[in-house]
Amino acid sequence: MGIALKRQIGSFLGNLLIFLLIIYILGPFLWMAIASFQGENELLKRPPSIIPQNPTTDNYRYVFTGQIPTAYEVKGQLRSRISQEARLISPALKNSFVVAMVVMVINLFIGTPAAYTFARINFRGKALWYNFILGSRLVPVMAVAIPYYVIIKNLKLLDTYQGLILIYCALTLPFTIWFLSMYISNIPREMEDAAMVDGCTPFQALVNIVVPLMAPGLVAASAFAFMTSYNEFLFARLITQSIKSQTGPVIIASIAGNPDASYSLISVCITLGLIPPLILAITMRKWLTEGLSASITFR
Amino acid sequence: MATLDYAVIERKAKLWDRLYPYISVLLPILVIGLFTVYPVLYAVRISFYQYILTKPKVHPFVGLANYIEVVTSYYFRNSLINTAIYTVAAVIGITIFGLGVALLLNSKIKSANALRVIILLPWAIPAVVGGLIWKWILNSDFGILNGILYAAGLIKEYIPFLANPNLAKFSLIMAAIWKESPLAAIFFLAGLQLIPSELYEAAKIDGGGGWNIFRHITLPLLKPIILIVVIYETITAILVFDLIYVMTGGGPGDSTSMISWFAYAEIFKNLNLGHGVALAVIIALITLALILVYLRIIKYEEVVG
Repeated sequence: MGIALKRQIGSFLGNLLIFLLIIYILGPFLWMAIASFQGENELLKRPPSIIPQNPTTDNYRYVFTGQIPTAYEVKGQLRSRISQEARLISPALKNSFVVAMVVMVINLFIGTPAAYTFARINFRGKALWYNFILGSRLVPVMAVAIPYYVIIKNLKLLDTYQGLILIYCALTLPFTIWFLSMYISNIPREMEDAAMVDGCTPFQALVNIVVPLMAPGLVAASAFAFMTSYNEFLFARLITQSIKSQTGPVIIASIAGNPDASYSLISVCITLGLIPPLILAITMRKWLTEGLSASITFR
Repeated sequence: MATLDYAVIERKAKLWDRLYPYISVLLPILVIGLFTVYPVLYAVRISFYQYILTKPKVHPFVGLANYIEVVTSYYFRNSLINTAIYTVAAVIGITIFGLGVALLLNSKIKSANALRVIILLPWAIPAVVGGLIWKWILNSDFGILNGILYAAGLIKEYIPFLANPNLAKFSLIMAAIWKESPLAAIFFLAGLQLIPSELYEAAKIDGGGGWNIFRHITLPLLKPIILIVVIYETITAILVFDLIYVMTGGGPGDSTSMISWFAYAEIFKNLNLGHGVALAVIIALITLALILVYLRIIKYEEVVG
């Protein structure tokens, strides 16, 4: 076999593999999006149609305006219970978004100075505190779920944004601090030293010199904090009780957990809920990849 | 007077400089401490008492009884076996799959760019939502996977993916590979990009074929990353909960009841906090042991590499 032929076969196999992988990775997302534009009856067919025969935006209209899809009336059964729950998806996603944004901002404002201190300044007990912060993430969530509930209840923060924000800060800050202090210690410190000789305080050096240099690290850390909060389920399930604070994953799991669930409305909720993380994962791809790579190759 | 003022200011500035490190780390440590110290002490304490939510008034100290009852129960053995099967299969699957994807991403094939754009998507979404999507795809009555296989003539009857004990395990593993291997792939890619290209060129000049280069250069140099990924994914697999919660609820029967699910069921379904938390403490010790191994490996690599 000639080398050229061998190479051609190799590249053909490589392309085929990549094609199959893309289908495996994207397929589930595409199917959700496609299903959200179909009527309930079409989804319950055997086999369901991959290409919508009668594409419709009724499901979305229902979720946003409450106008009942015609497909329901055709079938003659109005699933009022589940339908009403599906309408909670927009306030739930708003809750998720607000909570995740606040957690992200808090991470930046209190995580960055702490990371800088751990990376650059010596103080008593430094190693102990650093290991304490990192070690806090080793506790499995199931062990602390009930105590978390007790804390939030005693602080009278059940079913509030503040309760969620507090827990998510405790979950995300260790990674943020570790990641940013790694990032900072990889930046040469000559400029800061020079500034401090000129009478600059550590905080001024951080704000004026280091922050601009660590912008990519800050972007990655923000994205991680946002995603962790946006995606969290167990604690959100535990400490939220009403749509006042229930987040996207809680509402989606609750709608889908109903055995009488309407598939077209579930797929609408899932599609809407996935838009923010998917946009983030595509637009922030470079930072996220670099951040993740760094977290395994930094020493 | 002017000199005195200056001295006061300087003293204050010095005090501030001394305090600054503590002030800058105070808030994070308070928040993290509140959600670490108290919960851990609380959990350990509860695990030595009888805490059954249907008997809210009586909490006698029972010593190790919770631990003994949990460990000797049939459900513990069952969930341990299920967790072991799931963990081994998922970790092998994720590692091989992630490595394969990383090799493709690192290759010169043009279409790999498209893969690069979408690879992070499954990782970026909530695990419960990923689980729900797969649950529906695998549905035995209207699932799209059954639909496609049926339309293609590969099966005569719809397969009950989530209603058969073995297929349910397999389905969970498939969803876990989908959800977790993007992260593994990114980690492996980072490792591959650290391997100097001169090594490959030298091997090619020496007449090494693709497989030989992979076995004798790529694999050994990637070993530290493989170890990290394996341990990280092992811990993730042992702690798997969200996927089970939405996909199988531990069923059919108790064929997908893993150890975290067992702890959850003890706490939230049987309302036996003592049992559930004792189990959670056992899980914590298992993961802690794995993390210590992990830290040893990283230290070792630091010294050797």
